Amino acid sequence: MVYKVGVQGQNINNRLSTPAFFGEKKEKKSKCENHDYVMAEEKAKRPISTSLKITADKFSKACTTYPKKGLSGSKNANFYEFLTMGMVPYLTGSAMMIGVFNLAAKFFNTPDAVNALKLGKKMGIGVAAYGVAKTLSKKLIEVPVKWKHGIDVNLPYKKVVYELPEEGNKDNLVTHEYHKVFESVDFPRWDLLYNNEYYGEERNAYFNKVADKMGVANGDLDHSDQKVKPKIKEKLIQTKVFSTLASYLWAGTAVALSMQKPWENLKLSKNIVKDFGSAFVRSCKEFVNHPDKVTKYAGRGLLGAAVGVTLLGNFMTLFDFNKDKSSKTQAATSLFENGKEKVVC
Amino acid sequence: MTNVLNKYIANQPISPVKPAPLPAFTFNSEGKIKPLDDKAKLLPSRIFGSPIEYAKDLKQDVVNIGRAAKGKANDHELGRINDVAMKLGSLALATYLFVKNPLKLSKAMEFVGFGTFFASMSLWPKLAIQAPIKARTGVDIHQKYIDSQGRKKMLHQDPQYDLTDLYSREDLDKMGKKLGVAENLPDRDSFIKQRAKKTAVQGNTLWMMTAGIATPVMSALACNRLEKPINNAIEAIELKSSENALKNGTVGFISRLKQSRADKALEKFLKEHADDVIDDKMATKLSSLIGGRTNAASIQEALKNQILSIKEPLKINEEFITRALQNKIPANLIASLTAEQKALLDKAMADGSLKSVATILSQAGATGKPAQKKMASSLLRTLETASKTSQQKSVGQVSGQIRSLYASLGGFTQNKQILDRFIDARVGDKSGTYIANQWTRVCDKLIKSLNLNSKELKALADGNVGVLQTKLEALAGSDKYDDVVAQLMKLIGDYEVKTGSDFISMVQEKTTSLSDDAFRALQANNFEDLAKKFASGVNRGTIKNVIDVNAKERALGAQSSFYRLLQSLELYKRIGNGTFEQQLTSALGEVGKSADKATIKKLTKACKDLVLNATTTDYVEKLKSAGFELTEAEYKAVMKTMFGSVDDTIEAALRSKVGGAQAKTLVKGFNGYKQTFMSKVADWQNSMTPELARRTVNGVTSSANAIERNNLAGKPIKTLVQDVARQTYNSQKWLKIFGGVMAGLTAVTLVAGLAIGRKGKMEKQVEEESKKLNG
Repeated sequence: MVYKVGVQGQNINNRLSTPAFFGEKKEKKSKCENHDYVMAEEKAKRPISTSLKITADKFSKACTTYPKKGLSGSKNANFYEFLTMGMVPYLTGSAMMIGVFNLAAKFFNTPDAVNALKLGKKMGIGVAAYGVAKTLSKKLIEVPVKWKHGIDVNLPYKKVVYELPEEGNKDNLVTHEYHKVFESVDFPRWDLLYNNEYYGEERNAYFNKVADKMGVANGDLDHSDQKVKPKIKEKLIQTKVFSTLASYLWAGTAVALSMQKPWENLKLSKNIVKDFGSAFVRSCKEFVNHPDKVTKYAGRGLLGAAVGVTLLGNFMTLFDFNKDKSSKTQAATSLFENGKEKVVC
Repeated sequence: MTNVLNKYIANQPISPVKPAPLPAFTFNSEGKIKPLDDKAKLLPSRIFGSPIEYAKDLKQDVVNIGRAAKGKANDHELGRINDVAMKLGSLALATYLFVKNPLKLSKAMEFVGFGTFFASMSLWPKLAIQAPIKARTGVDIHQKYIDSQGRKKMLHQDPQYDLTDLYSREDLDKMGKKLGVAENLPDRDSFIKQRAKKTAVQGNTLWMMTAGIATPVMSALACNRLEKPINNAIEAIELKSSENALKNGTVGFISRLKQSRADKALEKFLKEHADDVIDDKMATKLSSLIGGRTNAASIQEALKNQILSIKEPLKINEEFITRALQNKIPANLIASLTAEQKALLDKAMADGSLKSVATILSQAGATGKPAQKKMASSLLRTLETASKTSQQKSVGQVSGQIRSLYASLGGFTQNKQILDRFIDARVGDKSGTYIANQWTRVCDKLIKSLNLNSKELKALADGNVGVLQTKLEALAGSDKYDDVVAQLMKLIGDYEVKTGSDFISMVQEKTTSLSDDAFRALQANNFEDLAKKFASGVNRGTIKNVIDVNAKERALGAQSSFYRLLQSLELYKRIGNGTFEQQLTSALGEVGKSADKATIKKLTKACKDLVLNATTTDYVEKLKSAGFELTEAEYKAVMKTMFGSVDDTIEAALRSKVGGAQAKTLVKGFNGYKQTFMSKVADWQNSMTPELARRTVNGVTSSANAIERNNLAGKPIKTLVQDVARQTYNSQKWLKIFGGVMAGLTAVTLVAGLAIGRKGKMEKQVEEESKKLNG
């Protein structure tokens, strides 16, 4: 079987004409489609549109390209695509959840429909609230970490993927994926952070900045990357675990909030924001001050748990409790420390 | 990995010089560290995991959360923590909703919903995708393996991370056979592994595409199916445990906890408000603290009045007099007292009796000069006023009495809760109680026996009497009639056992004993007014009477509706077979009214409508509006034919189905009802406009008031059927939509599954080429 070698040849020529790797010609690093590159600049300048662009790209592929590849059993299908396709059940599931409580009501008699839709309305708001609270609450931990340590756990990068030729696709073999530099705590894409002009001229500019912010280097920025990488990993893990725990508690709290009575009577007039805002405020009041004492304390407990885990997360991620380890280089915390077998992935 | 390699290749400097051949590979391993041995292995392929393994994993996850909080975790652990957090968040929400929902069934359903959602999430891919694909291709797309570090992972999670080397010889052979891979294919194992990988990628994609629709719908359908058995289980448990609690007088843990909290709350209040004067507001608060858990408004009110009127003996001491006579210090008056009077006053003040002080002072007034007299009488008045206002006591002054009041009511409060629970479990006005469930069972039975299609069900739900009549006529005339009647009778018989005379007398016995106890305790502590509320007589307004009457009326209301249903079926049976018209003609003839066939037919039709529509007692009015202005005798004749018939098809139906003895007991209840119904509802004196009190018409006093008649008449069949038809219709519609969605999705998934793992063009080509090579 003969495969046609696709676009790689073209890529090699490009690279040879701009041999930045050999230091012959120093120019702004290319953002061409041939390299994985960190989208730090876009994110800093246009945070919302960048993340919308990424989400839109991922979602459109999750609905079209990836299912096609997956269902045909493509040898190029990968775990990223599988995870990205996870958006589909999230959205269809939410729609179905709302549907289960609302769709049949239109066939009911008026009083039954009114009652069914009361619950349906709350469920609809609950599903939306779940998604919003889950996404936004993560920021309560991630944003302070970025502000204090300079680590953006969601820093995106565009990955260029060269696929293998296969039946039905032998030419169009370059595609891209949107990943996060720190999506893996075992293998963060450190390589993308070296020599990254966005952070400065120096090879270690990113690590210098983070080391400075975290106070790891104590003014000595030599080998800042070696010094700061273990600390970044530590903060990364803490941020991930606390933002995950908090996000589900906030999502639960948001659903509990949408199960309060004021939502039942929500009628949207021209002034949607006011109607919604008023129902929200009344629901919050009912949630924390429910007439039933036990429910009141249960509500406060749920909210307290969400707030508590968030604050604990802030406390654990913003302060350094393992200072002694910070001075060790990566080599010093290597695989063979303490003679223990190490888990690396 | 591909990416890194590509990059490496792309960046290789192109050298015109041919590189020198590499030296032969030699490697001295002495003193070097060897890679760790590979300990990874496949886990047995199971559809359902073991609960022990699940518990172990959960424990490990909790440990991992602790480690991760300190910054130590890997990607695998973080992934698992995400799953744990999702369940934790959902559990927290379910717990909140459990607390928020007042009903036991709703409470239970919160956790059932939580459970079915996660179960559906896990079961859907297993049942609809994994199992069929495995059966057909031998490939377990969710095959798990345990890696060298003991972590359980999915073998086919990342198709670019090839772990198919873990398959054993047997596994490969098995899959090869099912996948139809030729035995003599060169590099057959690799080929099978590729096919397995491909199958897994396809299966996993199918899973992602379908899970979103399947999980919520499957969960909702499961909840829908589970609701009834759970409701029945809750009902059975509550019936049993409330009865046991009543027999043994046991109080549950929560009640004990509440009791102890109530004790503490009262003590705290008495302490904090010791100096506050008892006004109306304070009395309300105190009465709710003392009797709040008795749940009876009348007790609350009586308690409040009692607290306001608690008499504290007036203590006359120096401080009191000084305070009472502020700005009117009668120094001269005191000085004018004789030594004897002074001694008496001192003694009186020591005794603390206002009367003796007043006497002394009035004596002083009587014997003194006019100015002194005036002063004495003014002082006396001041004292009297002071003695009255002093009844507005502080909490601290009467705390002893409040405690004794609380103690006197303690036993009653506790026992009433036990009794309330017992009554509630049987006839409570909420869903999940015996009465509510039995009602549903009877209604379901009726609706099923009417043999309705979707259109007819909708018509009944919309209150279409015509369809209902047609259906009832059909049922009355069918062979199923005996069966349906027997089944309804059995349900009613069970209802009689649980809420009939035994139940009522058990309630009465208990209310008598607990009222007596409270009465005695209150009387002993001089709380006469309040004690009256607990008198065990049958006087209206006493606590006992309120409890008894409420329980009885609730039980009777549903019972009447059930019997009315039977009564109507029986009437339809007689109308259907022509007996009714004959009976009506002869009954009217007996009172001297001869009616032609057309009139009888018209009257029969009016009776048919009446039995379905009439709400309570307005039969006379209803017949009048149908064009029948009847005399008392005629009216009685019609009523007797309708409701007092001795031609009992019910008993006949029962005898053939449940046997003579049981039939007799069941019919006895029904006949008893019919007699009461005849005398209290279908009677002339009771047939006029509804009124609350018994009334006298033409010198004859009615035998029942509106409430009694209302309870006896039960729910009109039309309303009963309309309600249940509406619920059934809604439920069927819902089930049709989402059952359809689920069935459709399952069919599509199973069909799509058939395409999974099939040979593609390339695989076929490889096989053909190898066949050619092998000759």
